[in-house]
Amino acid sequence: MNAITPNAPTLPAPVGLLAELTHRCPLRCPYCSNPLELDRRSGELDTATWQRVLTEAAGLGVLHVHLSGGEPTARNDIVEITATCAKLGLYSNLITSGVGGALQKLDALYDAGLDHVQLSVQGVDAANAEKIGGLKNAQPQKFAFAERVTQLGLPLTLNSVIHRGNIHEVEGFIELAVKLGAKRLEVAHTQYYGWAYVNRAALMPNKAEVDRSIRIVEAARERLKGQLVIDLVVPDYYAKYPKACAGGWGRKLMNVTPQGKVLPCHAAETIPNLEFWYVSDHSLGDIWANSPAFTAYRGTDWMKEPCRSCDRREKDWGGCRCQALALAGDAAATDPACSLSPLHAKVRDLATEEAAETPPDYVYRTIGSNVQPNVRTPLNEEAPL
Amino acid sequence: MTAPFPTPKTDEAQRLLSPEELEAALRDIGARRYHNLHPFHRLLHDGKLNKDQVRAWALNRYYYQAMIPVKDAAVLARMTDASLRRVWRQRIVDHDGDAPGDGGIERWLKLAEGVGFARDYVESTHGILSATRFSVDAYVHFVKERSLLEAIASSLTEMFSPTIISERVAGMLKNYDFITKDTLAYFDKRLTQAPRDADFAIAYVKEHATTPALQRQAMDALTFKCNVLWTQLDALYFAYVAPGLIPPDAWTPGTGLVPEPAVLQAAGTGTLTAQDVPRLPRGVRLRHDAVRNQHVLLAPERTFDLDANAVAVLERVDGQRSVRDIAILLGETFTADPAVIEADILVMLNDLATKRVLER
Repeated sequence: MNAITPNAPTLPAPVGLLAELTHRCPLRCPYCSNPLELDRRSGELDTATWQRVLTEAAGLGVLHVHLSGGEPTARNDIVEITATCAKLGLYSNLITSGVGGALQKLDALYDAGLDHVQLSVQGVDAANAEKIGGLKNAQPQKFAFAERVTQLGLPLTLNSVIHRGNIHEVEGFIELAVKLGAKRLEVAHTQYYGWAYVNRAALMPNKAEVDRSIRIVEAARERLKGQLVIDLVVPDYYAKYPKACAGGWGRKLMNVTPQGKVLPCHAAETIPNLEFWYVSDHSLGDIWANSPAFTAYRGTDWMKEPCRSCDRREKDWGGCRCQALALAGDAAATDPACSLSPLHAKVRDLATEEAAETPPDYVYRTIGSNVQPNVRTPLNEEAPL
Repeated sequence: MTAPFPTPKTDEAQRLLSPEELEAALRDIGARRYHNLHPFHRLLHDGKLNKDQVRAWALNRYYYQAMIPVKDAAVLARMTDASLRRVWRQRIVDHDGDAPGDGGIERWLKLAEGVGFARDYVESTHGILSATRFSVDAYVHFVKERSLLEAIASSLTEMFSPTIISERVAGMLKNYDFITKDTLAYFDKRLTQAPRDADFAIAYVKEHATTPALQRQAMDALTFKCNVLWTQLDALYFAYVAPGLIPPDAWTPGTGLVPEPAVLQAAGTGTLTAQDVPRLPRGVRLRHDAVRNQHVLLAPERTFDLDANAVAVLERVDGQRSVRDIAILLGETFTADPAVIEADILVMLNDLATKRVLER
């Protein structure tokens, strides 16, 4: 293993960089993973800074760069940034909504050496999809975009975020992926952070629906073997063990926000009193090794029981810190999604309860909105549940 | 075969049997001639038929099912007694249902659809064997032309059907993965309907077959009906099992079906063989990772760590060489048996193809 700094001889090198190039996006999905307080265009990093960040990332050992947002093609320099990735040997993954100016820039992105496209689809039925995404006429734009991606010979992944508003369409997403010529499909049940946390009651499906969706995916995987790879992310609240968030805090991924703040995961800012460093003040390597936000929950030293003595502690790394904070009121607690957490049963009950209620309307994401977690009572105020 | 109640020989045909003796004689006919004894049914229930042979059975048998209410209406038309008609008309209701989507014929259509047929094709009866049509039509003519006693006696095969139905349902569910409990819903109902119908019919026959000649007619009618059923299976066996002579115009496998859900095979996918030329598609790159000092295969949302062997193979995947060419090259480089290498790398390359990071 490579030593990055002499002080941390066993520090792993990051493999992925999530580059949130902008928070601007034509869509307004109620489960967006962006923070409630969205960065404005005026504060975004310039091209040269992104290019420096990418160069530093390649030097650190990053292999995959996820060009994300918001809608990354909303940046005028998206082609230049992609070309920089190609020049550095970084694998570039465009995570896009496929709407707005995405199609116009696609050929240039292909020529610049783009490696892969991940296209979001909100629903199968156009009216449903456009209700969820909050943008009229989005669906035909997405299909036209997908068609051009496969025409160019770029590998296409469809990403569908699943919730109670589209969980009945899981078969349809699979059919759509085959029809559009995608090689991969992500059936990703909503993870309840950021906007999804605000909209949780509108999004939470019930356990039977979740189980059914899992069965459908398992059957389709067998039927479409060698044709379509389907990745399934199951909803945490109904899980037995938590997911190793971002592959473990500060182990694999770094997330750079539009303003250049570097986070261990995209929701890390919800944890109070964490000190994040900016690429304008520090090199990426310095941030990875020494930024207080990265060292806070890296490894296992910070853990409490039951994580501390658990033999899964280096498998799931205690689960998600942001969820621990949101649900248990303590970012260093065991993720309540874990069945070993004392709060687990309550989390499951809460999910079941919300899924049984009539869903409230969506709170759509908007830049400059005043939405705070007070839209619904945050659980940390009631913690322990 | 040692039957406890042998059919009366001609010389004793003049003797009047007691009602119990008559019932025993009728049951004996079933024990020897009912179609559960036919080789085709043995094959069907033991799971020895292939899907197309099961389809042929479902398709042909539909004609029999569809004509049963026609037959029963003919019987009904001959009944002058309202109390008889009230009982008999229930058979028509059972088969036709009270509304569209209901009844035994509908459930048989579901069965035919369950094995893959298009409903229209089944209803058209265009694909049935002539022998099926002739047998079933003969049954309808029989009940029109013979006495009411004979018509009712000919329905007595229902005395034997619960056995065959339970054998059939259990055997088919166990042996055919394309048969579900829903597909066989037809038989659920018949398990209760058939004994009720049979109880009435046997009581009628016992009461009305009051002379040796009438008793003889009743037995002959049941024998005739057994032959109606048996002949249909003979024809199915001849056309679809052995010798497999399908008459002109009869159904041939592959026709009349609802197209299977289209799983379009994308270009470049499917199992690789030694002759195939593998390539890494756009979006999949072999790269040396200087920081970790290892080779990796970069692909959408994933990274494969490669050992030295995998690197040696993938470095030779250039979209020009076949799997066999690559194996021969590797055999020269590493002085190893190319046949062994070929088998190994096919496993590895097919694994990558399944993960959609290698095409041909």
